[in-house]
Amino acid sequence: MMSTKAFTLVSAVERELLVGDKEQGHIECVECCGKNLYVGTSDCIVYHFLLEERAQPAGTATFSATKQLHRHLGFRKPVSELRAASALNRLLVLCDNSITLVNMMSLEPVPSGARIKGAVALALNENPVSGDPFCVEVCIISVKRRTIQVFLVYEDRVQIVREVSTPEQPLAVAVDGHFLCLALTTQYIILNYNTGVAQDLFPYCSDEKRPIVKRIGRQEFLLAGPGGLGMFATVAGISQRAPVHWSENVIGAAICFPYVIALDNEFITVHSMLDQQQKQTLPFKEGHILQDFEDRKRRSFCCLLRTGDGLLQEHLQTGAELKASEPERNLLCSSSFVDCLHRVSQVKRGQWVMGLATGQVNSRGCKEMIEVTPRPGRIRVGGRVIVATSKGVYILVPLPLEKQIQDLLASRRVEEALVLAKGARRNIPKEKFQVMYRRILQQAGFIQFAQLQFLEAKELFRSGQLDVRELISLYPFLLPTSSSFTRSHPPLHEYADLNQLTQGDQEKMAKCKRFLMSYLNEVRSTEVANGYKEDIDTALLKLYAEADHDSLLDLLVTENSCLLTDSAAWLEKHKKYFALGLLYHYNNQDAAAVQLWVNIVNGDIHDSTRSDLYEYVVDFLTYSLDQELVWKYADWVLQKSEEVGVQVFTRRPLDEQQNSFNPDSIITCLKKYPKALVKYLEHLVIDRRLQKEEYHTHLALLYLDEVLQQRPGANSKGAEATETQAKLRHLLQKSDLYRVHFLIDRVRGADLPMESAILHGKLEEHEEALRILVHELQDFSAAEDYCLWRSEGRDPPYRQRLFHTLLAMYLQPGPSVPELAVAATDLLNHHAAEFDAAHVLQLLPGTWSVQLLRPFLTGAVRDSVHARRTTQVALGLAKSENLIYKYDKMKLKGSSVRLSDKKLCQMCQNPFREPVFVRYPNGGLVHTHCAAGRHTNPSPPGPGART
Amino acid sequence: MRKPDGKIVLLGDMNVGKTSLLQRYMERRFPDTVSTVGGAFYLKQWRSYNISIWDTAGREQFHGLGSMYCRGATAVILIYDVNHPQSLLELEDRFLGLTDTASTDCLFAIVGNKVDLVEEPAAEDQRKDGRGPGVAGRGGGAPKAPRQVQPEDAAALYRKILKYKMLDEKDVPAAEQMCFETSAKTGHNVDLLFETLFDLVVPVISRQRAQGPPQTVDITSYKTPGQTPSGCCA
Repeated sequence: MMSTKAFTLVSAVERELLVGDKEQGHIECVECCGKNLYVGTSDCIVYHFLLEERAQPAGTATFSATKQLHRHLGFRKPVSELRAASALNRLLVLCDNSITLVNMMSLEPVPSGARIKGAVALALNENPVSGDPFCVEVCIISVKRRTIQVFLVYEDRVQIVREVSTPEQPLAVAVDGHFLCLALTTQYIILNYNTGVAQDLFPYCSDEKRPIVKRIGRQEFLLAGPGGLGMFATVAGISQRAPVHWSENVIGAAICFPYVIALDNEFITVHSMLDQQQKQTLPFKEGHILQDFEDRKRRSFCCLLRTGDGLLQEHLQTGAELKASEPERNLLCSSSFVDCLHRVSQVKRGQWVMGLATGQVNSRGCKEMIEVTPRPGRIRVGGRVIVATSKGVYILVPLPLEKQIQDLLASRRVEEALVLAKGARRNIPKEKFQVMYRRILQQAGFIQFAQLQFLEAKELFRSGQLDVRELISLYPFLLPTSSSFTRSHPPLHEYADLNQLTQGDQEKMAKCKRFLMSYLNEVRSTEVANGYKEDIDTALLKLYAEADHDSLLDLLVTENSCLLTDSAAWLEKHKKYFALGLLYHYNNQDAAAVQLWVNIVNGDIHDSTRSDLYEYVVDFLTYSLDQELVWKYADWVLQKSEEVGVQVFTRRPLDEQQNSFNPDSIITCLKKYPKALVKYLEHLVIDRRLQKEEYHTHLALLYLDEVLQQRPGANSKGAEATETQAKLRHLLQKSDLYRVHFLIDRVRGADLPMESAILHGKLEEHEEALRILVHELQDFSAAEDYCLWRSEGRDPPYRQRLFHTLLAMYLQPGPSVPELAVAATDLLNHHAAEFDAAHVLQLLPGTWSVQLLRPFLTGAVRDSVHARRTTQVALGLAKSENLIYKYDKMKLKGSSVRLSDKKLCQMCQNPFREPVFVRYPNGGLVHTHCAAGRHTNPSPPGPGART
Repeated sequence: MRKPDGKIVLLGDMNVGKTSLLQRYMERRFPDTVSTVGGAFYLKQWRSYNISIWDTAGREQFHGLGSMYCRGATAVILIYDVNHPQSLLELEDRFLGLTDTASTDCLFAIVGNKVDLVEEPAAEDQRKDGRGPGVAGRGGGAPKAPRQVQPEDAAALYRKILKYKMLDEKDVPAAEQMCFETSAKTGHNVDLLFETLFDLVVPVISRQRAQGPPQTVDITSYKTPGQTPSGCCA
């Protein structure tokens, strides 16, 4: 068990001070109240000392006691217990089974001689049930068997309020409110003296062991249990804390939060209530008294007094030394008064006013007191802990919590330090605690960090709200030179930098850097980063660059706060030129960025981040809004690759293509780059469908030139030739804008029959076009396609005429070509529907067999039959419809309509005055003018529509 | 310190593995443990509730503390060692009485620990006598022995407890739900045990909260005795 130093033991009263000459008297009991220390001896003497505390630079304190006076009580028995009631200025002295009230200062018994007789032991109720500030509650174990008595003790009188009998003889008592915690002969119990309800706690054996019953706080007690256990129990009989493990022969226990202190014959042991661990052991022989004295006088109150002069707000710290020369203060600092405030404000605000507005107050010019606000939690951490042997009195001085925590941290005991800090929460003002606790968390974080416990460190940094720059500053050169950061003082850790922390271990260093990377990456978008985003992002950039981390680029292309100068120098140093370009771009220095990238592509500087950097630049320029920049590098990108480079223009967002990126300027620019020009014109004509004759003609001409150029070596570049040719043909077919005549001139004599045919077709010169296809090219399917192409969107007669023209060409009298006959049959058989069969039959040579034209003929006959039948059906339907109308007409005319006074017009609900009326097919009668006024049927009473 | 909303107490003879079971659940490990002195506890956050889990000492010496630990408990986990029938008998003889102080609607779970030591197909009769210094200390090479306590025995005890508490079987979870066999060493069923119990405990806590009397003292109803003028400034 590693030990903590929580207390130091200092001497307070040496035995020389205790008379000295008399050997037989030894210490029986002690009491401490503020600076007053009382010692009771076996020879019936009470000593009064004044304790002076002197703080030492080391953090601990020394004490010197000055004897005030001593008094022999006049018995032959030892003084067995002393209790101070500072509110009454009385000391309660238990001696010879009798409790005497003496003045705290003079040690003189009260003149009234008030005392409690028949007491074996006493306990003061620190949580009194009575609201009366001018008395204390005392609970005694009576000399009567199995009896506990409760008294109210006033300045000069005592009053018994309750007598309770217990199931067994009580041996020790502690009290809190109505609850008595008793050590009986065989067990501990909690007894509510108001209701009489008893609650068993647990058994123990009083024969083997002296019981310990100690109130440790509101409604909670500490008891000596079996097996050397220090057991905690609440008034409800429940244990809310795990027990601490003492030695078997503990004779006394005390509390000094968060520690439980126990005394046995040889040691003082200190356990933490927070984790039940033993924290410190102090050798201490022959000790027989261990007691804590809560420094109750350190609470503060805010009092608002209304005096004759107006309002006086007084902030009081009880027990504080106040100057007697100020009358109001003098009034307030009287100890009784202060205790009144303490008590009264606990009970009920407002009630005290009556109690305090006494003559004395008024006589000092204080009319009334209108507000008392207790400030809770100002209790000093723990009270005073005193141990005594029979010869001397010693004080256990707690080290300041912060010092203890710092010691723990210094020995890397992070968990314990945090537990201790957390435990101190309720004893330290909230703001102060938060500042302290945050700092401890941060320190703990650095300890974990130094041990490469990164997960724990991160959590501690997070909860401690660490200024991230503290962490960054550990890493050399990461903080920007412009950063105004200086490490907090006193320092959170002992390391100058990472080199010292890792002692040059490269692997550890790399781990630390990886941690910082992930940590910064996590916090940069959180509120932790507020105020120093630049520092964080710049540091992150540096780490990424150094580690050649992929996220470097992600960082630079997303929103970031990297500082330009610092980052640029760093990136240059690590040859991250591409990233540097991104940085320039992010800082609106596109020209510098592009220049840098161009240099990389040109091989002037080396950075292999992107193998496709050229394409990247093209892409960048494509979307760049800086027109000048684009024009500046247009030549460069085109020289590198015409096809890719032209994307700068072709992929440019449309809305931008106005202004300086108008097609004409671009075409001018592209004059030197034919391939690029073709691509660009294709973009204009095909993608953007610009309906401008020039572009179409220009593109067609460029295609044509290329086709012609490729001609000589047609065999070697067959595929490509066809590709361009296909493009040309496609353009010629689809576009209606180019100058046909101009192109026909160019094509003529160039041996491009298909193209000529298309061009002729464009001019509606079908005979010529088909002639070329049929006779020159003998490409019959092309001829068929031609007919389909040209008749697209035209009426059927036009289409029929085209097909007939083709058929006629096939059947042309002349040197009989067998292929033409075959082509003719195929045409007829495949496109039977496009022909007028009767007309075709006249054209066909009589020698052709029917079998040959079977598909055509079958189709023709079917068509004809179908047409006839369809017509017959239509005729029949028309006749039947006619019949229906006839029937309706007969029906309407067949019956008479009787018009009388009772018949009303359905429209206006008036009777008919004239014989003229209108009758709707559904039988409704209306006036002629009503019918004229409304053309619709009056809401028909039944089905039936006007026909 | 967070104030616990409910309490679960582990009871059982010494060396049945109470501490190991709790540590397995809370710390996900199976360390060597020494005999527990007095008691220890953990706080577990479950949903919005803080549940304190008390580990008690099984040694006879600390037996007297049991009923204090059980006071106001929302659930009690009774633990025995499946390899030692006596440890099951002890539950009834010694430990059941301690639970009298638990809250009236206290839940009971019966847990047979150390199933990792049971040799499932009872091949050789390697009965091990004497209880050694805890399984934790014996490590991995512990000899396996055929099962000594059958699950039905635990279920029978559970029904006996209900009878003892005069509870109707219909009103409380069934024996199948509340009897577990675990191994703190392998972690078998450990999470199931605790989490099943937490889920059962939470509604009990909220019910107690709804019914329970206010725990705060009403100071406004307090009557001050007649006050006398102080002589402090006289």
